[in-house]
Amino acid sequence: MRDVARDPAALELLRVQRSQLADRMRPPWWYLTGAAIGWALVFACPFGSRYLPHADYWTIVVAALAVACLLQLGLDRATGMKVGPRPLRVLRDGIFYYRPGRPALIAMLVVSLAATVTEASLIRRGLLVAAIVVAALAVVAEMAGQQARLRGIRQELRAGGGAA
Amino acid sequence: MTAKPDPLIHPITRLSICGLLAAGADWIEFAALRDAAGISDSVLSKQSRVLEDAGYVKVRKGAIGRRPRTWFRLTAEGRRALEGHLAWLAQLEEAVSGSARDVQQALRSPFESVVVAPLAGTETTGVVER
Repeated sequence: MRDVARDPAALELLRVQRSQLADRMRPPWWYLTGAAIGWALVFACPFGSRYLPHADYWTIVVAALAVACLLQLGLDRATGMKVGPRPLRVLRDGIFYYRPGRPALIAMLVVSLAATVTEASLIRRGLLVAAIVVAALAVVAEMAGQQARLRGIRQELRAGGGAA
Repeated sequence: MTAKPDPLIHPITRLSICGLLAAGADWIEFAALRDAAGISDSVLSKQSRVLEDAGYVKVRKGAIGRRPRTWFRLTAEGRRALEGHLAWLAQLEEAVSGSARDVQQALRSPFESVVVAPLAGTETTGVVER
């Protein structure tokens, strides 16, 4: 077995291997399509709460959650990695480090809240077309945020997650 | 974190396994870990068992349909050992590159005293004479 101390390129090799691992964290086409459908369902909720009976509204919410769970399971299998829910910062050696995907995640939360409130307000005033445009823009913004979050995860995998 | 070598993760295959598991994913599947580490199935099985016995790696076995799937994750103990070992390796690398610099300096010094310095002196003299 090769010995690290006699191999000066050991740390470099580890960096290359981490980079290969990070490259696996690329979402397949169906993940992005499914995520867009999931977000579309989320932003359809203000319409549902206004125009659908109570039971049908909850069907949309459950469908959105089911899509999110299925997509996460599929991504885990496709990439061979389970990343799971990630805290916005980690404590190492008594210091808090902000994770690379943090700004994207915060932006996604802000966009989802702002878009839902704006849509509800526009629907109340009867501006349906404007509400649909807001929902469509929100889906695009969420997809961009999701891509940025995955880039952050790849960046963290390349960097070694703080270990080394 | 104290920089100290860990004999268990000193071999490069085990270092690769631990280093990849510490990279940021919660769990990594057998095939993904094998491909990223560039090792064979049997080597990964053998080395992961050693790490599991030492309490550095947690192994979870399952199946998708009829296909068996094995997932790995680094334990807190494994992460501590790896961080200490990597810090020690970084120190070692620094020491090796530092001593290489000293050797280069030592090799360059006699050369400079014998060849470069007289030449520099000549040049300076040349400039003054002009």
